Amino acid sequence: MAAAPHSTRIEELLPAYALGALDGEDLRELEAHLDAGCAECRRQLALWERDLEALAASVPPLPPSETTRARVLRLAAATPQAAPAPRAPRWLYFAAAALLLLGVWGAAGQLQMRGEVRRLTSERDRLARQVATLDHEVDLARAEARQAAQALQILAAPSVQSVVLAGLGPTPQAAGHTYVNPQTRDALFYAFNLPRLAEDKTYQLWFIAGGKPVSAGTFGVDERGTGRLRVENVARPEEIQAWAVTVEPRGGVPQPTGAMVLKG
Amino acid sequence: MDERETEDRALMSRVAARDGAAFARLFELHAPVALGLLSRILAERGEAGELLQEVFLQVWMQADRYDADRSSPRGWILMLARSRALDRRRRRESSRRREEIVGGESGGEEVQPLGTERLERRERQRQVSSALGLLTPDQRACIELAFFEGLTHTQIAERLAAPLGTVKSRILLGMQKLRQALSA
Repeated sequence: MAAAPHSTRIEELLPAYALGALDGEDLRELEAHLDAGCAECRRQLALWERDLEALAASVPPLPPSETTRARVLRLAAATPQAAPAPRAPRWLYFAAAALLLLGVWGAAGQLQMRGEVRRLTSERDRLARQVATLDHEVDLARAEARQAAQALQILAAPSVQSVVLAGLGPTPQAAGHTYVNPQTRDALFYAFNLPRLAEDKTYQLWFIAGGKPVSAGTFGVDERGTGRLRVENVARPEEIQAWAVTVEPRGGVPQPTGAMVLKG
Repeated sequence: MDERETEDRALMSRVAARDGAAFARLFELHAPVALGLLSRILAERGEAGELLQEVFLQVWMQADRYDADRSSPRGWILMLARSRALDRRRRRESSRRREEIVGGESGGEEVQPLGTERLERRERQRQVSSALGLLTPDQRACIELAFFEGLTHTQIAERLAAPLGTVKSRILLGMQKLRQALSA
């Protein structure tokens, strides 16, 4: 099919094309027109794409969780540096020029070979990057599997003690669970629906034994409001009377000072 | 080009040269909007967080493919995010359709998100972006279906039970109004 000539009708297909909404005959017609090299349509299309970028940026932003941020930066750091595109040393150009001057046939072959070497080098770098990323993914998956196995060890113990924590005060929708294995004295704690805190604050888990609060550690929550903490060597698990979570300054405190958000 | 974009372009060149600090800064500047866009398209926060990692990893790996003549760095990142999120959404919908066929009546159930997540989502939906606010509700619905759900003219006409020609003109007029609003 011959490409349609430039017209207002063709121009009017551009915004829907940029949106990805064009289909059927309209799509075929516009693509044939663009393929025929209409510079004006290309220019206008770029402007529509710019407008869509602004539309994309108009959604309300959502801060990513610290875990996501840390993971992205860690993965990036684990990806090896891409070797810069190999530059042929200067002497090679002189050599190639000399060969050409001498009218030697092999020069063209050499240049072709260099192109091939460059292609293979960049392919090797690309694969190395992929391998490094996969290695890292495997490490993360292993760590997650290890965590899951530890959790299962606690949860599957016949004498596991579990406590449900309920949301208090400003966070009635929050909930928490603790599981303690009295034999190994390991405990697991999960929190749900807790709001994320400012940078300078943290959640702190406490257990109350002998009427006194003992810190079990601090934790943060992800974008879904879920937090997790593993506690080792819980002293005298059988004497624990209650569990609680408070909001404290970052790093935690020896005795609770902030608002209590979960108790059970 | 504003100052923001000038800084972004400088950052992109440094990221292409594998500068980790520049990458961290780029993440800090653009991850919130990218996450907002991913969540809007996927309507699922956890999946959006996971996809955000993939998008930025792609930015890191392919920064040398960024074409400064075609888009701003922010636009490039957001369009990568949109395209990945629409792919994921289409895959999810086609597997849901498969489940419906296999599972009969029980397959079509929608999983209700938890209370706070639902409230959060409703709140986000209420926040009308200023540019879209100037369109008629019909124009806006068509553009949103195309942009955030990846539907074509014909699919939008089916979804809204509206004539195809009407959908085409709503999109055209809506996009023209959007441009006016953005350039105002």
